[in-house]
Amino acid sequence: MIEKKKYTVKQTPKETLSHWYYLMYLGRKLDEKAPNYLKQALGWSYHAPYAGHDGIQLAIGQVFEKKKDYLFPYYRDMLTTLSAGMTELEIILNGISKADDPSSGGRHMSNHFAKPEWNIENVSSCTGNHTLHAVGVARALKKYGEQAVAISSQGESSVSEGYVYEAITGADREQLPVIFVIQDNGYGISVPKKDQTANRKVIDNFSGYKNLHLIHCNGKDVFDSMNAMDEAKRFVLETGNPVILHANCVRMGSHSNSDAHELYRDEDERNYVKQYDPLAKYRRMLLRYKRFTEDELFEIEKKAKAAVKVAHKKAIAAPHPSADSIHDFVVPEPIKSLKYPEGLHQENSGEKIKLITALNETLKAEFRHNPDTYIWGQDMANKDKGGIFNVSKGLQQEFGKERVFNAPIAEDFIVGTANGMSRYKENMRIVVEGAEFADYFWPAMEQLVESSHEYYRTNGKFVPNITIRLASGGYIGGGLYHSQNIEGTLTTFPGIRVVYPSSADDAAGLLRTSIRSKGITLFLEPKALYNDPKAEAIVPNDFMVPFGKARVRRKGSDITLVTYGNTTPMCLEVADKLHAESGTEIEVLDLRSLLPLDSEAIMNSIKKTNRVLVVHEDKVFGGFGGEIAAQISAEAFEYLDAPVKRVGAEFTPVGFNRILENATLPNVQKILDATRELLKY
Amino acid sequence: MKKIGLFYSFNTKNTSAAAKLIQDELGQNVEVVNVEEATEDDFKRFSSFILGVPTWWDGELPNYWDEFLPCVEDDSMDGKTFALYGAGDQKGYPDNFVDAIGLMVDFIEARGGRVIGYVANEGYQFNASRALRNGQFVGLPLDFENQAELVKPRISKWLKIILKQF
Repeated sequence: MIEKKKYTVKQTPKETLSHWYYLMYLGRKLDEKAPNYLKQALGWSYHAPYAGHDGIQLAIGQVFEKKKDYLFPYYRDMLTTLSAGMTELEIILNGISKADDPSSGGRHMSNHFAKPEWNIENVSSCTGNHTLHAVGVARALKKYGEQAVAISSQGESSVSEGYVYEAITGADREQLPVIFVIQDNGYGISVPKKDQTANRKVIDNFSGYKNLHLIHCNGKDVFDSMNAMDEAKRFVLETGNPVILHANCVRMGSHSNSDAHELYRDEDERNYVKQYDPLAKYRRMLLRYKRFTEDELFEIEKKAKAAVKVAHKKAIAAPHPSADSIHDFVVPEPIKSLKYPEGLHQENSGEKIKLITALNETLKAEFRHNPDTYIWGQDMANKDKGGIFNVSKGLQQEFGKERVFNAPIAEDFIVGTANGMSRYKENMRIVVEGAEFADYFWPAMEQLVESSHEYYRTNGKFVPNITIRLASGGYIGGGLYHSQNIEGTLTTFPGIRVVYPSSADDAAGLLRTSIRSKGITLFLEPKALYNDPKAEAIVPNDFMVPFGKARVRRKGSDITLVTYGNTTPMCLEVADKLHAESGTEIEVLDLRSLLPLDSEAIMNSIKKTNRVLVVHEDKVFGGFGGEIAAQISAEAFEYLDAPVKRVGAEFTPVGFNRILENATLPNVQKILDATRELLKY
Repeated sequence: MKKIGLFYSFNTKNTSAAAKLIQDELGQNVEVVNVEEATEDDFKRFSSFILGVPTWWDGELPNYWDEFLPCVEDDSMDGKTFALYGAGDQKGYPDNFVDAIGLMVDFIEARGGRVIGYVANEGYQFNASRALRNGQFVGLPLDFENQAELVKPRISKWLKIILKQF
């Protein structure tokens, strides 16, 4: 029995063949023209030519349904995006970074083609990290019962990245509708694939996966690629399971225009890869099987050349982005509370609750408020267990396994799939426990940095709506890996918010604001205060704390202690002690929010007290207090009667023995000593 | 005996060299056809075939075979007999050694064709091959890169076997 292929040179309708030839020829003309823009100093300084990938790229674009499927093309996917419906003008606008570039308005590197409004997603230059986003959005497609797929397209070398394995493993385990297309041209820039993987065809590394279906095809052949992509999509839609498709390609040129393949490929190789030219092969077949005459093909070529010419003129005349737009779309505007504009309340009836209770109750309230809210993380939901500290206790019982679920021990996967899933719906809100402890968040930094760029990079077309909760800090005898404060690093990235409450009411108010706002908020929880009576407070049901609003915990006129998190109660203790001793009036300013920072509140306080001590639990050297001190020096120097001092941890890891921990972390005595010293000036 | 159609690409080095050795041994019993220009009618003229099918890249048919096969993809090959040889590189591409022979055999057998000229895998070193079935290659692998001195004797030995089977 001969298996009938859906697409063959003899059976495919002529109109379809013609359309494909037009797209392939058009793409090739653009691919060949791109380097000229650089030569003329018009842009397109990064161009990764796709010639040799033509078959599979045409096929990816043809099976993609805009606004229904999700396509994550990589930086070599010019024909993929043309085939998916983008125009030659849009391609050139991206290439020369004009303001009308639908991908990013000239913000992202050239040759990163995208159109987010059609679900042709704007992806990173970090090879393959969009694999996690494809898996994330596929999770939403499955949960919401869509008959659609997510397609992640990438080179074979990207599969060397650990996060690609996390993504494929997750898609296999969760049985998600994803097609991973691996375009294999044998090289990662100059590195041959034998230096990347033992199996020459890298998808064979996944042959033991339970639910993943493997398909191999010739990515240089239009018909084989079309049949393979068609089979892949049908398989995913019929079974709900993922596919990994390996397309054998060749790279006819260098990796990019900053690479010279003459340095590592001999002449024989450079010549023989040209013999594979998929466009020439397709053309020969159209003629051999008498589907087209030379004249007919010539007409198609003429039309494509004319289209490139017109698009070129329009793109050259199009405006550049303006210099004063650089601060647009870095972080979205947060939700505003009319009732609590300063993040303060006067509630004095009711019972004080613990900080951990405030978090738990606020999470539950927000899950009731918005049915498109989800939470996942490690150790998150197994019967009565709800997180390592039980912050999420009872959530799965009330909201079900579809909305509250465990994640594997893969932090980058936790954050990356949150980014991906949040693409599905604008009002979707995702809360993740980014890691069991903040100390374990480092593997996820890759996705955090990536996510921090989305809003800027898409020129405001997409921002992940994620609250990342992290149990932070020490004072629990936790040692090197259960004591870290990581805000000193986190606050260096534009595009995210970082908050660090120190009481139950502020924790509730900031968590509500974080979840309801668009964008990414790092929600750092002082785990030593979870159950500490010092952090207990009365919490109004609807309380909200805006970002970038510090809270005066204690009014004073002699010195300002600027602090946040675990050291807030210590500063208050110092203030009470000195007041009792000598009547000193110390102002304690709890920042609550580090990014954005309430610089105004800091300066206003210093203008009143003329002395300032910056206190935080994290290391002094390189800690966030350095930024605060620098701002004070620049903006309030003339109001100071004493130097700006800082108290924080020693520049050493936190040892496990309590003696070591005590010696390393700040405490009441250290703050007291520094305060007294400043008061002497 | 009926003439054997020897189909291969004339624009090749190693495959053509092997074809020349085959012609030298079989003389008038073979008629060569350039697969790059072959038609369905060329194919129909023969019932016995020797096909030169080298492996390209990571285990693919050469373009010219890919481009020819649609000519005959709808035809029954019942009653036709095929022997295949093909160049492969055991050291450079050990994971897909002479895969193209296997791909072509799959195509032929799916259409009812008979394949002869199986070769034991002794004397070859490789990791995997689509041309391998139960310890035998379904055609004659030739390795011009690593075992050039064995090309001629392997062809001679193979021809003696297949001539009895056609």
